[in-house]
Amino acid sequence: MLTIKNLHAAVDGKEILKGLDLQVPEGEVHAVMGPNGSGKSTLAHVLAGRPGYSITAGTVLFKGRDLLALSPEERAREGVFLGFQYPVEIPGVNNVYLLKAAVNAARKHRGLPEVDAFEFLTLVREKMRLMRMDESMLSRGVNEGFSGGEKKRNEILQMLVLEPALALLDETDSGLDIDALKVVANGVNTLRAPNRSMVLVTHYQRLLEHIVPDRVHVLVKGRIVRSGDRTLAHELERRGYDWLLGEAA
Amino acid sequence: MSAALLTRLQEEYGAVHAALPESVTAAKRRREAIETLCAQGLPATREENWRYTNLRVLERARFSPVEDPAGTLPVLPEPLEGFARYVFLDGQLRSSAAAPRGVTVCSLRSQGAAGAGWEFGAQLPEARLALLNEAFATDAIAIEVPADAEPCGIELVFVAATAAQQGASYPRVRLALQSGARLSVVERHIGLADSASLVNSAVRVELAANAHLTHYRLQHCGARAVWFDTLAAQLAAEAHYELLAVSTGALTARSSVHARLAGAGAQFTLSAAALGEGAQSQDMYALSEHLAVRTRTAETFRGIASGRSRVAFNGKIAVRQSARGTDSRQSLRGLLDGPEAEIDLRPQLEIYTDEVRCSHGATAGKLDENMLFYLLSRGLAPEVAEHLLKWAFLEDVIARIGLADLRRQIERGLAGQLSEAATLQELL
Repeated sequence: MLTIKNLHAAVDGKEILKGLDLQVPEGEVHAVMGPNGSGKSTLAHVLAGRPGYSITAGTVLFKGRDLLALSPEERAREGVFLGFQYPVEIPGVNNVYLLKAAVNAARKHRGLPEVDAFEFLTLVREKMRLMRMDESMLSRGVNEGFSGGEKKRNEILQMLVLEPALALLDETDSGLDIDALKVVANGVNTLRAPNRSMVLVTHYQRLLEHIVPDRVHVLVKGRIVRSGDRTLAHELERRGYDWLLGEAA
Repeated sequence: MSAALLTRLQEEYGAVHAALPESVTAAKRRREAIETLCAQGLPATREENWRYTNLRVLERARFSPVEDPAGTLPVLPEPLEGFARYVFLDGQLRSSAAAPRGVTVCSLRSQGAAGAGWEFGAQLPEARLALLNEAFATDAIAIEVPADAEPCGIELVFVAATAAQQGASYPRVRLALQSGARLSVVERHIGLADSASLVNSAVRVELAANAHLTHYRLQHCGARAVWFDTLAAQLAAEAHYELLAVSTGALTARSSVHARLAGAGAQFTLSAAALGEGAQSQDMYALSEHLAVRTRTAETFRGIASGRSRVAFNGKIAVRQSARGTDSRQSLRGLLDGPEAEIDLRPQLEIYTDEVRCSHGATAGKLDENMLFYLLSRGLAPEVAEHLLKWAFLEDVIARIGLADLRRQIERGLAGQLSEAATLQELL
């Protein structure tokens, strides 16, 4: 699904990713963990195509295609989804408008007709119940006045409706209380499928108690320094990151 | 403004004045208006409150009115349920509906005679173009709502069809609400798509105690038109004047608004949106004058300038000594879309008393890159994302349009103007 080789990325002339390699096969959930400033969020944003990053070396293949050659919107339509750590508020753009526009953009890309308005709303309502979101949020502006937890739920709601092939979830657990974390994890888990891959970018192990990853990678100073199964996350929880810092040198 | 222009103005007036209807404005008043205007001079861009208006158009225009409008009406907007519609062609009434019960609607060209109550505050330099209207108007519509009448709706559609070289049009309106009366007015200014018309309208609003007027003004003239406008409102105690103005049309548009909050507790709410593209200039000046205790003004302006256009809003709040307990709020925001576009926002406060609460904010900027990336990351095309954000920017004003049908019409119109992308329209 996703193959990253020797990825170097810089922002404002400062190199953040320094030769990152990562492979996420179809159907797997991988966690990328690491200390603050290691480049986790940069990785997520570079993959989603955020402007402002310069890719100085390396390749990223998504379903065998050169992901870096695609614009952000093309990546989204091809099935890449970024769940933001800090979702922006866009007053005036209605949540349901955005959802529908996003779904239709992807459908148009695949040569499908626009979604039926009634079926669409039924689907959205069902997903909202799963995310324990109040229906009134649909008619509000995107994330407008939402609490931190509501914003994160809204990200997962969008993901559930868009059904991406590759989900990149950037610190989706940050700022969530334990009940909200369970709801979010449950939403993510319902989307696990043999034809779908996920990359969870996280600082803490607690999300991984609810979304059990197939692989765990440790990102330090712009490179993956260690990979393992889920027990690696437990080890990190126990020992912290310090013991791995030397390996990045 | 050159002396030659004033001479031409006088000559044009001299040539047509005998034919102008006495019932619309008495000959004496027309003559006085011209004299005052010549004494004061026409507005000029060297004056602070006119600097963003394209006044050169006056040099090429003909001041004399279109005498016998002969154009055909374009397709009019869908009628609004519950609104009696009056249609004007080049300033003269063409078709009318039955007035709402108890309400007097009178076209002065055909019925009645001009009474008092048409003052536009000629002493104000910003109201001078109303003098031009007074001198040349060929029709006027007077609407009076008696005390405690049932709430009702009136729609005025002004169509500008004739080119400026052949004559100008002078829409003239008086809205008078007696105590406790409630009225909704939709006032539209539209034009034939390609007609380079000159419109110079004057609207006078008078609200008695506790009256409530909701006034929607939509300026959507043709792309080559020039639209000038003066609106003067007088509010008695506890009256509420809610003015919602959306200006998207004309090559040059200038509106001068003067609200006098003369009675205790009077309230003025101004929500305005302007959209400029190409070489358009959209200019609005609003003076809210607080003269009595506990008076309130809430002003919201949202403007978008793209291409080489210029969008300006100059909002002045004047709190006189007699107006303790005034509460005024101004929120002015502009969005720049393109390196050659221009936004000019001026919040002004003049306070001559204590115990007032006045706040104002003015910001101009570009589209937020974080918002833009968020929408792109959801698969939206860049042009759709940009239009959606522009749309959202105007929403602070559009959302206040309480009439759902009208709001939808405006939204569709704006979606068309903001984008070629059909996708956006489908979303609305």
